[in-house]
Amino acid sequence: MTGDILRILLLVLQLGFVALLYLVLMRFAGSLLKDLRSAEQAQLASRSGIGRLSVLESPADEPPSGTTIALGPINSIGRNVNNTIYVEDDFVSTNHAMLTFRGRSWFVEDQGSTNGTYVNGHRIDRPVALSFGDELTIGRVRMRLDR
Amino acid sequence: MRIAWRGAELRLLLPIFLLVPLGFAITNVALTGVFDGGPLHLAIGYVALLVGAHLLLVVLGHRGDQLILPAVGAMGGIGMIMLNRLPQDLAGTSAFGIELGMAATQLLWFGVGMIAMLVIAVGLRDDGILRHYKYSWAAAGILLLGATLLLGYEVNGARLWIDLGPVSVQPGEFLKIVLVIFIAGYLAETRTLLTSARLRIGFLSIPPLPYFLPMLALFAVVMLIVVRLNDLGTALLFFGTFLTMLFVATGRRSYVLIGLILFVVGFTVAYQFFGHVQTRVDIWLDPFADPLGAGFQPVRALYALGRGGIFGEGLGQGLVTLGGGLTIPYVHTDFIFTAVAEELGLLGAFALLGFAAVLVFRGLRIAALARDDFSGLLAVGLTASLGLQTLIIIGGNTKLIPLTGITLPFVSYGGSSVLASFIMIGLLLAISHKSAIGADVDAGS
Repeated sequence: MTGDILRILLLVLQLGFVALLYLVLMRFAGSLLKDLRSAEQAQLASRSGIGRLSVLESPADEPPSGTTIALGPINSIGRNVNNTIYVEDDFVSTNHAMLTFRGRSWFVEDQGSTNGTYVNGHRIDRPVALSFGDELTIGRVRMRLDR
Repeated sequence: MRIAWRGAELRLLLPIFLLVPLGFAITNVALTGVFDGGPLHLAIGYVALLVGAHLLLVVLGHRGDQLILPAVGAMGGIGMIMLNRLPQDLAGTSAFGIELGMAATQLLWFGVGMIAMLVIAVGLRDDGILRHYKYSWAAAGILLLGATLLLGYEVNGARLWIDLGPVSVQPGEFLKIVLVIFIAGYLAETRTLLTSARLRIGFLSIPPLPYFLPMLALFAVVMLIVVRLNDLGTALLFFGTFLTMLFVATGRRSYVLIGLILFVVGFTVAYQFFGHVQTRVDIWLDPFADPLGAGFQPVRALYALGRGGIFGEGLGQGLVTLGGGLTIPYVHTDFIFTAVAEELGLLGAFALLGFAAVLVFRGLRIAALARDDFSGLLAVGLTASLGLQTLIIIGGNTKLIPLTGITLPFVSYGGSSVLASFIMIGLLLAISHKSAIGADVDAGS
């Protein structure tokens, strides 16, 4: 008799346990859905461009460090104010480097500058493909290519 | 540092706080016939760990993913319930004059793992140490393997363990992480080169060798040693993870195809020359050929899955021991999934797979939202590794693929496995925190 009661009790508890397990899973599903919807909206709201440069270090503060620069497909970098990205630094040449988006990736090419263009600390001697997260150093200005 | 409320995380954790003690209580009643509390303190300890981790993330202002910790908590909770249900003398520690049973030891490792997770999730502000020192990481990985090769001792024909005084560690578990970091760093750097220039041989396009060679060399070394250590599960896991990362980095199907061809060739060679591999495949094809010898474990596992059915035998009511021994040898590590399926049935097993799927889904989301290639590839690698490990061992348990002895992350008993898995979760949290902060900066500027 007590054995029967115990069995029924265990069965009820067990079913409760499994039900709770699926409740947790349903909540997960709910959270995932909510998140997907908001992510979709956020993406629609800010269909940002092909990339941007984050200024990590800029001794003369032009461009100001800590800011991000939105990039077009072709960007010239140099000390001449007519460049797409104007950099005020004594170690930067008038027309220093060219940053271009070709096909599906970014490339940087030195324009015969005096002090060279560096990618992740290495001086480049030909056009180099950049990955997002790579560091570009021009004169004393350090910038990072971000999505 | 500002407090960041993590409402979604708390909402998901709350039912888990109820679930784990309930599971312990049911086990207690089923085993003893009355409710006397039993080892309920372990369940409460587990809940306390989750509460602590959640509160610390809130206080430290962590903005990372909120679904990962609950998913891990649910998987670990099911694991704790099962480990508490199994005979406690299967494993344990007796350091510092305190005797701890299996479930208590596992709880201890969960504590250690969560601390590691929090330290990495909060402390890893700059991924430079991971990214720029990728060759150091590769060297550390080779060192780890070398150490196993020289100092390791064998358990079940696989040489995986190193004895370190009070604890034995499985370096392979940590090698996994180190390797993913290296591959992510390497691919982030050479990704564009691997995609742009290439050689064509027939319909296959081959990556330019100079860029690919270091990677291939490292991988050959790893594979060689792994084969020498007889650890097939880990070899399969590494290979799968590597191919996934390569595909995500380059988007080239032909690389995956080459990888699969290499895999088939490698496997055929291994099958011809290593008795260990041959035995595994033969058992897989027909475990009933030798049900009391080689096929003992899988046969017993299949029976257990059958006994479980759809609703399961009930917690504490499965057939765990038979004639003084375990029904399924290594039920607490390699065959924990079978134990879950026996006592919680197909429903419980599906729920467990569901939690694992949530983990993988969120991991890939973190990768998609990552701000730079390295973080993204790292997240992909970590997620692929956790997901594939789950699939490989569950596939082995259910005789879908040949059985290879690896652990089910967060569920199986094992200190190295739990710690390594939590380190991976910590890295994922750190990456998602960084993306969230980055998104804020954009919105502000």
